Amino acid sequence: MELLLLKVRICLVFGTIASSFQGYISEPYFEKYGSLHDSYFQDFLAHEVPLGLCEVFQNKINSAPKLSILHRRLIGEGSHRRLSTSIQFEIYQESVSNLPDHYCEAIIIEKLPSGVFADPFELQDLLYRGVYMKASAFGDTNLELPSIQSNRSLVEIHMDIGSNALTGSKHGMETKIELPIHARYPPLGDRGYSRTEFGLPDLFTRCSIKGKSSSQSCIFMSTDSTAKVIDDSIVWEVPSGNKKHASTVSFLTFVSAILSALSIVLVSIRHSNFETDDSKQS
Amino acid sequence: MKRVDFRFIILFSAFLRIFLIIYGEWQDTHMEVRYTDVDYFVFSDAAALVVSGVSPYKRSTYRYSPLIAYLLTPNSIVHRSWGKVLFSISDLLVGYFIRSILKLQGVSDEICIYSVMVWLFNPFTFTIGTRGNCEPIICAMVLWIILCLLKGKLLQAAFWYGLVVHLRIYPIIYALPIVLALEPCNFQSGKRLILRKWSSRDIKAAQRSSTKNVSDLVQKLGVIARLLTKERIQFGLLSGTVFFFFTGIFFYLYELEFLHEALLYHLTRTDPRHNFSIYFYHIYLHYEREFSLPEKLVSFLPQVIVQLVLISRFRKDLPFCFFLQTVAFVAFNKVITAQYFVWFFCLLPLILPWSNMKPKQGLVCISLWVGAQTHWLLWGYLLEFKGKQVFLCLWVASLLFLAANTFVLICVITHHTCSPLFRPLEHVNRTKSAKYKQ
Repeated sequence: MELLLLKVRICLVFGTIASSFQGYISEPYFEKYGSLHDSYFQDFLAHEVPLGLCEVFQNKINSAPKLSILHRRLIGEGSHRRLSTSIQFEIYQESVSNLPDHYCEAIIIEKLPSGVFADPFELQDLLYRGVYMKASAFGDTNLELPSIQSNRSLVEIHMDIGSNALTGSKHGMETKIELPIHARYPPLGDRGYSRTEFGLPDLFTRCSIKGKSSSQSCIFMSTDSTAKVIDDSIVWEVPSGNKKHASTVSFLTFVSAILSALSIVLVSIRHSNFETDDSKQS
Repeated sequence: MKRVDFRFIILFSAFLRIFLIIYGEWQDTHMEVRYTDVDYFVFSDAAALVVSGVSPYKRSTYRYSPLIAYLLTPNSIVHRSWGKVLFSISDLLVGYFIRSILKLQGVSDEICIYSVMVWLFNPFTFTIGTRGNCEPIICAMVLWIILCLLKGKLLQAAFWYGLVVHLRIYPIIYALPIVLALEPCNFQSGKRLILRKWSSRDIKAAQRSSTKNVSDLVQKLGVIARLLTKERIQFGLLSGTVFFFFTGIFFYLYELEFLHEALLYHLTRTDPRHNFSIYFYHIYLHYEREFSLPEKLVSFLPQVIVQLVLISRFRKDLPFCFFLQTVAFVAFNKVITAQYFVWFFCLLPLILPWSNMKPKQGLVCISLWVGAQTHWLLWGYLLEFKGKQVFLCLWVASLLFLAANTFVLICVITHHTCSPLFRPLEHVNRTKSAKYKQ
């Protein structure tokens, strides 16, 4: 198995999260921008997530956990597949000591390419079954539109890492996320298939820490700035209509419809006996 | 004895449906592929929204009248299978209505039971209700309308007709044949109607006596007077009022969202994704641009022509006309999904007693229709679940399915014994023995 190991480093330190970030990280972005644009979204993550230092970590910068993508692949065939991502949770044990009780979750933000969508109701069902702790799709989640008439979407999934993860008990823990995704009808082409490539997701760890007087949440963002992308980039070849078929298909479709209609009309006239009697008598 | 047989069939069908509902719950919980129809989750979500005081249209892909969501509110309060039970009861009601309609026309108990079995034991239909599809409610309403008409209950028929068109737009295709069937010589509200008798299928005599009266009427009253009868006006006004009443209420409650999702979407729907319709690939290949008006008209023309011809030729045999119209409507529609087949499956038992098709010919028709559908499903599977580029083959399979539909329709027409559903009221005095005792 090819190993896609992305050494992630903490780029955005940790901080107390504003109330709007207690839920989905992406939600405020879509409230502001409405649709997904990579550059806007990265700017949003870098500048608009309201961060402040998390007191308990002020002198323990190295204690921030790291999430590494071990492997990514598409499972299944056809228009309905699963995007599988294995994530490793790492922590520098030596830098963490005397931390108060805390609870952590891994957050993966999957920016889906054009032509691919996740069904928000399917995500809800997975939530109901307890597969994810929290999951939601943002952006254009219309399930029916073809690629050419739709915008991109994003899925944010929260996975449970557990309690007191930063004290090192979960060091090296692996978790796997499978996201059900679906292909839209792609634009027409000459090749018969449309190529869809997936980028890398954004990873976060969020920990809730119980302080003496009050609780606080800290978010850690992992980026792929030091990533070594190995050869298995994810590509989905989606069957597409062939432009060359257009005139033949249209012509024969209408000819078939008309022939079929005419044959029904002729048989109806010939075999509706009481109507024939009508006309004879009148 | 026969009555017991019918009860046994209904009971057995009820148990079968209860078993399937329970099995569905188990499969949904334990297997990756769910038994429950995706639409059922849509209905349930919409119903849950209604319970929490939110518009059902906040659930994307909910494209039905809010009444369906209202009916399913116990899904959130009582049990999530409530809707399936409701749809399955409607499914059983369809069986009961089939028997009632056939009995009114003097069809023998034995043939009635066979006809009912064609609906109740059709694997396609008993899975539709238990998987949570709402179509059995629509089917039951359509059959109830026919039953009301047969019993001369015009106002009831009009009420339910307005309601069913509000719930599902497609029964609008029955408006013209119903109105035309309300000929004053055959149908007068409050009077006992004379129905055709299956046992004495003296078609020619019945037709001649019927047509003679119609011809006389035309000469006497003229075309316009003949069209604007009291019954027709009553039916049109009441059904229209009911339709606009419900549409108006829901427009007031849910505004444009309701109009767009529940009505306009169905009228303007052109789906580029693969479905049984011959038009799907043509639509996909031209989806990047708007269709011109002539293009839209050309694709609409076969449907209109066939509907008009079927109505003009078979309107007197109302159940048969409904059946042919529905098969043709589905076959020429721009979008065809498997659930649409239930629309004519519920009417099939009503025409079987008047068919002189031999079992072998029937088997050929069934094999051809099922074969063409299976062939299409094979290509559909390769495209959707294997990711193979088989659009062209799938489109050819759609053409073959249309050909199979056409062949079956032609066979059904050529083997049907046409007889007017209503016999002239004047005929009562002459043939009192044939009078139906309500």
